[in-house]
Amino acid sequence: MVRGAAGILLPLIVPAIIAMIIWGLPGDPATTICPQGTCGETARQALIERYSLTSPYAFLYSWLSRAIFLDFGISPVTIAGKEVWALVATSVPNTALVMLLALGPITVGTFGAALGWFPRQLDAVFQGIGVVPAVIFALFCVAFITIFDLGGIGAFGIPMFEYDNWEVSPMKLLAGGLVLGLADGALSGAVSGTRSVFDTEFKQRYIGIAILRGERPMVNAAPNVLPTLIGQFRSRVLHLLSGTVIIEVILGIEGLGDLLWRATLDNDYFVVLGAAWGFALISSFLLIFQAISGVVVELMIRRSPSVPT
Amino acid sequence: MGRLRHLLVGVGLVSAVFLTGSNVDYFEEQLPSTMIPIYARTMVDRRAHELVFDRMFYRSAITNELRSRLVERYQVLEGGKKIKLVLRSGVKWHDGKDLTPDDVCFTVDALLNEKNPSNDAKDYREALAGCESQPKENSAVIAFRKIYHNPRERVAFHVLPKHKFDSSQISPDDDFALRPIGTGPVKGSKGRREVSFSSVPNAHRRANVAQLQLKEGGDPFVQVRTLINAGVQGVIAVAPPLRPEVAASDDVALKSYDLRSWWFIAVNTASGALKHQKVRQALDLTIDRSELRELTIGVDKDDPNPPCEFISGPFVQSSPYYNRQVKVAERSDRARAGTLMEQAGATKAAGRWTMDGAPVNLRIGMNAPLDTEARDLLNQIGNQLQAGGFDRQVYRVTADDWNRKAVAGQLKDFDLLIGKWSFGMVEYVNPLFHSRKGGKGSMNIFNYSNPEVDKILTRFDAARTDTEARDAYHDLHSLLAKDLPYIFLWKLDTKSAWRNEVRNNTIAPYYYFTEFDGWTIQ
Amino acid sequence: MKPRVHVIRWVGLSVGLVLLLSLALMAYFAPDTLGQADITRRVASPFDLPPFGADRMGRPLLYYALQGAAIVLWPSLIAGAIVAAFAIIAGLARCAGLAWFDTLLQIFSELMGALPRMVVVLVVALAMPRDYTSLLPVAIAWAFLAAPGAMDEAATAAGRLGGSRFVEALRAHGFSAPRIYLYHIITLNLRSVVIRQAAEVVMQVIFLEIALSYLVQVPPVQPALTHSEEFKSWADILYLGFQTATGGNWFGAGSLIHALVLGLVLVAMPAVMAHAFRLAARER
Repeated sequence: MVRGAAGILLPLIVPAIIAMIIWGLPGDPATTICPQGTCGETARQALIERYSLTSPYAFLYSWLSRAIFLDFGISPVTIAGKEVWALVATSVPNTALVMLLALGPITVGTFGAALGWFPRQLDAVFQGIGVVPAVIFALFCVAFITIFDLGGIGAFGIPMFEYDNWEVSPMKLLAGGLVLGLADGALSGAVSGTRSVFDTEFKQRYIGIAILRGERPMVNAAPNVLPTLIGQFRSRVLHLLSGTVIIEVILGIEGLGDLLWRATLDNDYFVVLGAAWGFALISSFLLIFQAISGVVVELMIRRSPSVPT
Repeated sequence: MGRLRHLLVGVGLVSAVFLTGSNVDYFEEQLPSTMIPIYARTMVDRRAHELVFDRMFYRSAITNELRSRLVERYQVLEGGKKIKLVLRSGVKWHDGKDLTPDDVCFTVDALLNEKNPSNDAKDYREALAGCESQPKENSAVIAFRKIYHNPRERVAFHVLPKHKFDSSQISPDDDFALRPIGTGPVKGSKGRREVSFSSVPNAHRRANVAQLQLKEGGDPFVQVRTLINAGVQGVIAVAPPLRPEVAASDDVALKSYDLRSWWFIAVNTASGALKHQKVRQALDLTIDRSELRELTIGVDKDDPNPPCEFISGPFVQSSPYYNRQVKVAERSDRARAGTLMEQAGATKAAGRWTMDGAPVNLRIGMNAPLDTEARDLLNQIGNQLQAGGFDRQVYRVTADDWNRKAVAGQLKDFDLLIGKWSFGMVEYVNPLFHSRKGGKGSMNIFNYSNPEVDKILTRFDAARTDTEARDAYHDLHSLLAKDLPYIFLWKLDTKSAWRNEVRNNTIAPYYYFTEFDGWTIQ
Repeated sequence: MKPRVHVIRWVGLSVGLVLLLSLALMAYFAPDTLGQADITRRVASPFDLPPFGADRMGRPLLYYALQGAAIVLWPSLIAGAIVAAFAIIAGLARCAGLAWFDTLLQIFSELMGALPRMVVVLVVALAMPRDYTSLLPVAIAWAFLAAPGAMDEAATAAGRLGGSRFVEALRAHGFSAPRIYLYHIITLNLRSVVIRQAAEVVMQVIFLEIALSYLVQVPPVQPALTHSEEFKSWADILYLGFQTATGGNWFGAGSLIHALVLGLVLVAMPAVMAHAFRLAARER
């Protein structure tokens, strides 16, 4: 219930929080474009009015009243002149692809650990891979790709708007996905997290009884551990999502994370809020998915398992 | 390992051949912040704008003559109070429309419009009074606020197309900032990590390079490796420590880029002990420029042609304004520095200077991007000062803070600020040293004020001949070297690197691509 | 307890503590500055300037390693402690049957979990005044953002015990409230989750410091976000090594491959430490 409600409200709450936080930063778009004392106070005031920068509330109100119609404004600094909506729309597929590629190893790890595909001896290998921080892994990837000019091979783009293409470089995406899915203990965390949940569950008395009744422990344990596993999965996805910032910045992938990083450094409130809204939307989707899954599992359990006669 | 590396290099080379074709790709320091010329903030902006737009007048990179591609003839009116510019016919904008005198006057109006947040427009607003279009004669008459002995240099702005804007109030987030329309040799389109330029033949210009792509630089080391492996054809600025590697390659040539930029330490003459001229002079003598240069830029002390040339005033040594009578202090002289400190009333205890009962503590800042060219300069200067008995804290200042606060005179909590100024052919330093009043001294970092300096700067402004101007700046050089609102460090050569496939690539001072029409690729 | 598990737990604890102690000693002996440059020792190998060699200005890499440890030690431990505290509170709330508190925590965790972490971290780092630049605020922000995951897991673990029914059952056996909450719930049942989550956050904060310190070096160069400019991060060691590694001059003159090796070893330290503590806290 709380989860579902939070999921629906997040796209509104997150931009509001972010707006308040970035307001605390030194500088603003008007001052970045027109520093005080060097380009004229008249021009600065014109910019402050244009971007509703008189107060955080005025700015947030102005932004929200347009954002509900999906008008996120135009970037004044980071990519001056570009519609934020177009920036977000061309970034989301790249971030989504990196995430999907990263989810590959994690999903395999989760299922592998749950179904016993991987012997426990392999855990040490996964841990070893996980020791490498994403930043190091990404650095070597970018050096390799840039120096040997592999970034463009097979790159393709799809026209999305009048001028904007969605452009993707498979090598960079692949590298990004791999780094995110393997480094910083992502894969090893998925394997060990799943194993620990099942190990704990298998110690429960009902599993022992199920075994005595000739049933498979997995069939009995699965509905009970599913909510925990879904929760873990969501938290891993969110962790990956935050990891995309570093990966995208280093590898030069034009995704949401890269957009957020640049816009924050540039004080480009419009792009920060647009990209944060994109992130909130993904979080919101995950929350609602988790809430619905919880309800479905609950219903499954209530229907009671079929008892062999 | 070696075999694998050779294989990878081979793959890189083959892919580069297939992918680049007749295109020229180059690494810039960063992406241009805008493609609207009146809003240029960085050198990257100015270089990119030079490709897409024409300036009314420019200096030839070969003969140093003042020329124009847009003006057929000009006439100085009212003894220099106005200038009439008759435009060349047949010049078209990239969208096929004709260049007209209205465009020239529109650009002047945009520069004079106080609602446009343009940093560059300030100088134009001081010089220009207005513009009158004379369509029948295909000419524009530009009026000045006062008589100039060199009026053409005052109208060296990039011309904007009137038909692309609703009014002379141009928003910085106008679509034009991404897809500009100019009369230059190429038209441009800005993306998130690159700017693509494609050639547009015109009556007055024709580029030989069909496609040009500006790529965001990133790690300088990766830039150089990519260049050597033919991933790109050029790098605009190669950091000094990486130059030997580039020079060792047979396929790449280093080329000088005359940016007339010099490095300095601005001194807060209103802060604590630094109010005393003798303390500032002691600091100047504590700094060992030779050691700094060797450590941070990697200059070999036996190099007969070092990329870094010391200066004793606010001009590069090749400038006519540089006063050669003022000598450079290459090495530190701690003994003399100590004497000066004592004369200023400081005492030394346990290796630390104290003044008025408190240790002399210096807060030193540095414009952070300079770290790419002179690695760890901030800490090395801090170390030298500490060794000289001064307490210190060091901070890097973001490029944004530098532009927003340091240049605007708002970083008063610092005692010393390390920075770099770049100039075109006209080295106009008045905004750096004039007292901040009446719109003057707009780039005076610590709001330095010295009536004697102001008097000299006014003399320069009033100069009617080159000799008068030069004499004024020679006096300025001499006075600043004594009063030390800045500790002058060096002029550091900027070197570009281009692959040998790119031919005839004359690099113009400051604007870089002024002679781009002649560039070819083989 | 199976003897093998017992051995693994003790080995984990010993390794974890040794590494933590090493980190603490490194931080303790960290110098305030890297010292004066010395051209004669430029790019010295570990044989020429033991134990780790020197950088391009002849400054010992040992000082880099010590300063890097000083940057990360306390902030990462504090972040770990915050996460552990949040996880314990969430677990206890579930056991205490405080429905309203549980709901409140859930709202907090959903909200925190939905914020783009790196942006919040970056904003916190940028908002700090120049004189207070440190990893600590970033680490605390990260701990708050990472807390929801730990809280979720701890609450689930407590829920599996039976929640408030578990507490009632123990009360019926005559155990006191402190014993139930501190021993039966936290020490016996939440320990594994709490220590694992805290150890992971310690490691994440160290990795985050390396990432941020590296990112600010990529042009356009930014001021350090996590430490004063006099200090060098482990990212600086890695960056020195990275140049050699990608340049191909692995063993020639001027090679800094030893910096890369040192950097990787230092990075492995917190990872191994976190893993060791995870093993030490394993359930019976």
